[in-house]
Amino acid sequence: MSFILEAKNLKKSFDGVVALSDANFTLNQGEICGLVGANGSGKTTFARIISGLIRPDSGLLYLYGSQIHLKSHLEAEKLEISMVHQNLSLIPEMTVWENINLGREFTTSLGILKKEEALIKASQALQELKVNISLYDKVSQLAPSEKQLLEIVKALSRHPKILILDEPTASLGFKQVEILFEKLNQLKKDRVSVIFISHRIWEITKICDRLVVFRNGKTVGEVDFHQQPRDEKLIIPLITGKKENEKEKSIHEKRPFRNFDTHQTILEVDNLSKKEKLYNISFKIRKGEIVGLGGLNGQGQEEILLILSGYLKKTSGKIMLNNKEVLIKNPSQAIERGIFLVPGDRQKEGLFLNHNVFTNLIYPQVALKKQKFLLPLNALFQTVSTAIQTVSLVPPDPRKLVSHLSGGNQQKVVIGKWLSLSPKILLLNDPTKGVDVETRRNLYKIIADLSNQGVSVLLYASDNEELIANCDRVLIVFEGQIVEEICGDDICEENLIACSLRVQ
Amino acid sequence: MEKYIKWKNIYQNPSFPSFIILIAIIILNAFLQHNFFTYRAFKSNLLTFTPLILTSVAQGLVILVGCVDLSLGATISLVTVLMASLMGDSLFSMVIVVFIGSGLALLMSFINGFIISYFDPPPLLTTYATSVLWFGIALFFMPTPGGYIPSHFSKMYRSDLFPRFPVVLLFLIGAFCFLFFMSKTRFYKHIYAVGGNEEAAYANGVNVFITKIKVFLLSGIFIALASICVVAQTATGDARSGLSFSLNSVAASIIGGLSFSGGRGSIIGPIMGGLILGLLINVLYFANITSFYQEFMKGIIIIFSLAVGAIPKYLKTRSL
Repeated sequence: MSFILEAKNLKKSFDGVVALSDANFTLNQGEICGLVGANGSGKTTFARIISGLIRPDSGLLYLYGSQIHLKSHLEAEKLEISMVHQNLSLIPEMTVWENINLGREFTTSLGILKKEEALIKASQALQELKVNISLYDKVSQLAPSEKQLLEIVKALSRHPKILILDEPTASLGFKQVEILFEKLNQLKKDRVSVIFISHRIWEITKICDRLVVFRNGKTVGEVDFHQQPRDEKLIIPLITGKKENEKEKSIHEKRPFRNFDTHQTILEVDNLSKKEKLYNISFKIRKGEIVGLGGLNGQGQEEILLILSGYLKKTSGKIMLNNKEVLIKNPSQAIERGIFLVPGDRQKEGLFLNHNVFTNLIYPQVALKKQKFLLPLNALFQTVSTAIQTVSLVPPDPRKLVSHLSGGNQQKVVIGKWLSLSPKILLLNDPTKGVDVETRRNLYKIIADLSNQGVSVLLYASDNEELIANCDRVLIVFEGQIVEEICGDDICEENLIACSLRVQ
Repeated sequence: MEKYIKWKNIYQNPSFPSFIILIAIIILNAFLQHNFFTYRAFKSNLLTFTPLILTSVAQGLVILVGCVDLSLGATISLVTVLMASLMGDSLFSMVIVVFIGSGLALLMSFINGFIISYFDPPPLLTTYATSVLWFGIALFFMPTPGGYIPSHFSKMYRSDLFPRFPVVLLFLIGAFCFLFFMSKTRFYKHIYAVGGNEEAAYANGVNVFITKIKVFLLSGIFIALASICVVAQTATGDARSGLSFSLNSVAASIIGGLSFSGGRGSIIGPIMGGLILGLLINVLYFANITSFYQEFMKGIIIIFSLAVGAIPKYLKTRSL
């Protein structure tokens, strides 16, 4: 059997940092091939090479058996290769239909745009994936999941022979993922080849025919599901590079049941509402408890976190901290009271990417005006060192630039910067988005340690398994209301999904 | 199919506040200037505003693509100096010199565009540097205002093409038709794409390099038109004649609702912004404010307009 696409010994480094050292990859016609690996293993770099966005330093690329040198993205497009970008390639200030047609507009001989055709094409493309958004909306007005869907729609509207999906499901709810998978299976029947990059192993095992594993820029393994079982246990050791021993069980191991009924209530939210977003939200969090917010994506979970952390204003309702009502008007008031948010988009909201780890870690302390006129740098350095140890940052170097860290380690810095301020309540907004399995495990270990020390945690995760594994209690949010509360052993996949969909 | 025009889209349009300001300032002007609605006043206003409007459009285009052109004023100066030193009395020489001047404006815009898109330096500093360069050259050739512009060249500019139809209106109508045509092309969409997110535009197959150079060339056309107006109006070559246009055009663009980071707003915005600035000077004059305070008031009102322009953004973040 000849391969539709073959890559041999691809190498690429950026400013001396090696991203790909020896990538090998093959793709058959009409198959869905998964590509997995930890963060920084070179998956995205590889995808960008295939789609012509960057040129490899060395290595060979074959398409339909003949060698190709992709000089630009346009050339890849002519060869009918299309990519769904992880960092979305949408123009925020342009409308949906303009974005779908961008770069390949139909024009008359005078160069005038054929708007009607563009509109028809765009609406057909949207319908194919059953996406329900207005053609005239600006992209900046869309929710993250809608943007992601639009990005997929755009790539599909080019009718590619080879489709590369770089973490397409990271911000999608499971309903949307199902529609996407349906579409992918249909494409497979049409003999389109798909490269599917994801951190979610269960998605890979569900949809893919074959699987290639990258580690540190090298191809380290391949699993063919036609011959081998669709089993996560086969894949995880390949990704982490560690033999799975008895102590390290599955990533999603359920934590033992803990009873908090006797503990002191730290946070009480009473009848919290936000216009058109949230309706009469009431819940309590006790000391040291980890409470999850579950449900479909975008039902108002993020708004709850943002209101508690002072980024959004509530319309009505009370927030009580230690049985006293508090007003949280802005983030700094939340921080003063020990309520810290770990934002979903860490690169945008949580970090100064161009600064080093040290600066990032001391920033909250400096900002809180507790310091003397001249900063006690030595003392701060001590606290930073302990923070780095607590979150087990890799590498443990406070002088390293945050932008040079992998995604998971960046997230550790976001959590680490709050530790020295002794948090009372930690609000986590989908903390493991785009984080690899190993780091994910580490992160949740840190969170579990914190909760054992008496820190209460409110966790929103788009991934149900994370809620199952880490939460003592899960609140299901549906259209801005808390519709269900699941405790202890009742927290399981079936229950969560059933409640999220409001199935009895 | 769904409706294209929604009320929400209108008042959230970045150019909406400047439209309101424009109407307000027109009403104010009509009160203060008694003959505001006569043809004479209309024409003299038009003669004053045209260079500012044209430069605002030139600046607006560059701002839309995510750059800024501070050398625009110095370009005008250099072109006026060149035209004033070359122009003779014959119609032939006038036409030739106008073409040479326009060619120079295009060349200078191309140099800006090429440096910015090829070497990718900060546009603000690059065009500041080139502005100093152009200004230096202009001063070298004409240290004091001078040169020769035939009086019938100026007269032609001030004359009427038909009764009640000044020649200068032709400039504006031509420019608007051109802009209208351009706004229907795919190139116009590419300007927004590159201005909105350069990397994403590249990933979509938009040629960022060519787009930027094209935008600078296009802006060069408007700069050339503005230079012709300036030289016809002042009838001299002056190395300082254009300098105020650089920042006034930026202010006009931002008042017109463009985002300084690019990719946001409509090209109608700078036109309205230019009109607002022009009418503003008018209002201050007719309100009998002494020239000491005129600049002061102008500053205050520009800040006010900018603040009003920020209202849609504020409304948006509040309803986050």
